[in-house]
Amino acid sequence: MSNELVPIFLGGALIASVAVALLSRRVSVSLIALFYASLILGLTFTFYGDALLGLVTMVTFAGAVSVLLLTVILITGESSLPMGAKSVGLLLIPSAGAVGAFSILAVLQGTGVAPTSIDTSLSAMAFAWSNRPWDLLVLIVVFASAMVTVVNLLGKEK
Amino acid sequence: MLGDQTVLIATGTALLLIGISSISVSRNLVKSIMSFQVSVFGANLALFSSGLGYGSHLLSDTFVLLSILVGASVEAVGLAVIVLVYRRYGTLDSDEIRRLRN
Repeated sequence: MSNELVPIFLGGALIASVAVALLSRRVSVSLIALFYASLILGLTFTFYGDALLGLVTMVTFAGAVSVLLLTVILITGESSLPMGAKSVGLLLIPSAGAVGAFSILAVLQGTGVAPTSIDTSLSAMAFAWSNRPWDLLVLIVVFASAMVTVVNLLGKEK
Repeated sequence: MLGDQTVLIATGTALLLIGISSISVSRNLVKSIMSFQVSVFGANLALFSSGLGYGSHLLSDTFVLLSILVGASVEAVGLAVIVLVYRRYGTLDSDEIRRLRN
């Protein structure tokens, strides 16, 4: 994929996920699509060299706001959210695929660095500034785990 | 970079318009909050891409950061209001809430 196609791909993916989020009848599907839209927006910021802004977007919208929305949806009982292995797969597999695609793109463009060469002498969050897309997988796994935990906690109360 | 900037500004504007139109159409309050989030995404993307063509885009980054914080705060307050409304009226349908209030 050449550099000219990247903004079109990112913009198309963003609009597609937003369209799914707003047109879907099920609130749970809307929530998952909005989660992806937040990740894509964060990836866009990261791709254009602003990793800090991308990280803040992902932490705020894909993390905190998504969990908040999930909690409200569960409290109001608008939709039953079956968060079994299938839903977790729906949440994680496309994310891992997207991160893998960006990793391959980074390696092909020569901007990627081998994961073994991470400089551990830097601070713990240094990966956020070093523009390596596969490191975002760590964040995605943490956010997805937080969402599944909240669903399980509130789901057992019913 | 100019082509990227154009595509990103167009995407941001489209998201903003989609979000605003969806807020006005949606009857479900949770969906309205989601539409608001989409419009915040659009505003953030348009702000960010407006600074792409220049050497230093510190000002646009600051505005995006401010927009993220304000958007998330407004969303949190909106969700709290939604929970209160649901406890009082037992529904999230805006038309039904208006009917019950009258």
